[in-house]
Amino acid sequence: MPELSFGWLLLISVVAGFVGAMSGMGGGVVLIPALTLFHMHIKDAIALSIVSVIATSSGSAAAYVREHLTNLKIGMFLEMFTIIGALVGAAISLTAGQAMLFILFGVVLLASAATLFFQRNREWKQPEHVDAGSRWLELNGSYHDQASGEDVQYQATRAYLGGPLMFGAGLIAGLLGIGAGALKVLIHDLVMGLPPKVSTTTSNLIIGVTALAGTSVFLAAGRIDPGKAVPIILGVSAGAFLGTRVLVRLRNRTVRRFFLIVLLVLGVEMIVRGIRGEL
Amino acid sequence: MSRADAGNQSAQGGRFDMRTLVGWILLAGLLSSLALLIAGTIWQYLSAGKLEAEFKLEGSDLYHYAVSIARSALAGHWRPQTLIALGICVLLLTPYVRVLVSMLSFLFAERNLKYTLFTLFVLCVLTYTLFLR
Repeated sequence: MPELSFGWLLLISVVAGFVGAMSGMGGGVVLIPALTLFHMHIKDAIALSIVSVIATSSGSAAAYVREHLTNLKIGMFLEMFTIIGALVGAAISLTAGQAMLFILFGVVLLASAATLFFQRNREWKQPEHVDAGSRWLELNGSYHDQASGEDVQYQATRAYLGGPLMFGAGLIAGLLGIGAGALKVLIHDLVMGLPPKVSTTTSNLIIGVTALAGTSVFLAAGRIDPGKAVPIILGVSAGAFLGTRVLVRLRNRTVRRFFLIVLLVLGVEMIVRGIRGEL
Repeated sequence: MSRADAGNQSAQGGRFDMRTLVGWILLAGLLSSLALLIAGTIWQYLSAGKLEAEFKLEGSDLYHYAVSIARSALAGHWRPQTLIALGICVLLLTPYVRVLVSMLSFLFAERNLKYTLFTLFVLCVLTYTLFLR
């Protein structure tokens, strides 16, 4: 296999960005396994992927922030935890063995498949009990729900648990070079009781800053080759842009099933490669 | 309206709105970064006949990287790599500027000391990481 050319990197990244945006999983989850299939070193793939995560986060967060769904205070509060997590994660990633990274990535892919499988449109209800800490942190807000035409008020809870868990989400993001958006949304929804719209849009904002912290570590270690980063940033951005356009029209079971199979196959493949040592 | 709600409801009444500002910063940062990367790649292709630019920046932090680019650009040494490096710097600095502007907004527009300090913490960590080597 020859070294990956500009054209190949661009093509792989467009597909990864497209699939990532359509499935809501983000580009990195598809990009990194794809790059390693073309015999790129997994650490280089992780470093290049996390740069592209900044681009996709900026793009999607820009749109949502202006629609007033994002909660900047909740975002800022949780970013304190995710950036530290990302720094630790990226530092571990630099020293970790390749096989370990393959296996971990495979596990994350399988977990992503599971969340996609169990994804339902749950009814959101404001948690009844809100602890004093979360009130003190002003983790509240409101947004206009276009479907029902009503203004929805919300107040997050259990910040004492959500914060430390977001450190873990940041750690995985830095370790594996992904946005880890699905994990962040899970924490927002299940632990802190945020409405789904607020949790996904706020997660988008947090991802950018978290990815920047991780990127700095890989950049300082000389793991990011700007010449290779260019086609990846351009490709993932273009793919994500197209993916979000198509997302509005194609949201059915067949598509979801297709993503599920892609994630399962990639996940198993990475774990097998990690265990067998065929890196 | 209590002060606690101000951050999330300042859209109403035509007052300063942090979210609109943050949205424009992110969009402007991303688009200018992509434009620089595309321009640099086209230039690289026209001058060298291939799309991928060659770089050497091992063991450098973002600050020194940015300074060396700025220095060569100021000295009139514009190369395709200059545009590409600038594009990557703009991309990385976009979330950084977003946090900086958020801090100033919490401080001056909302007068919320608690969140000014939270944002300052994030800003300090990010600044430190940008100087990592």
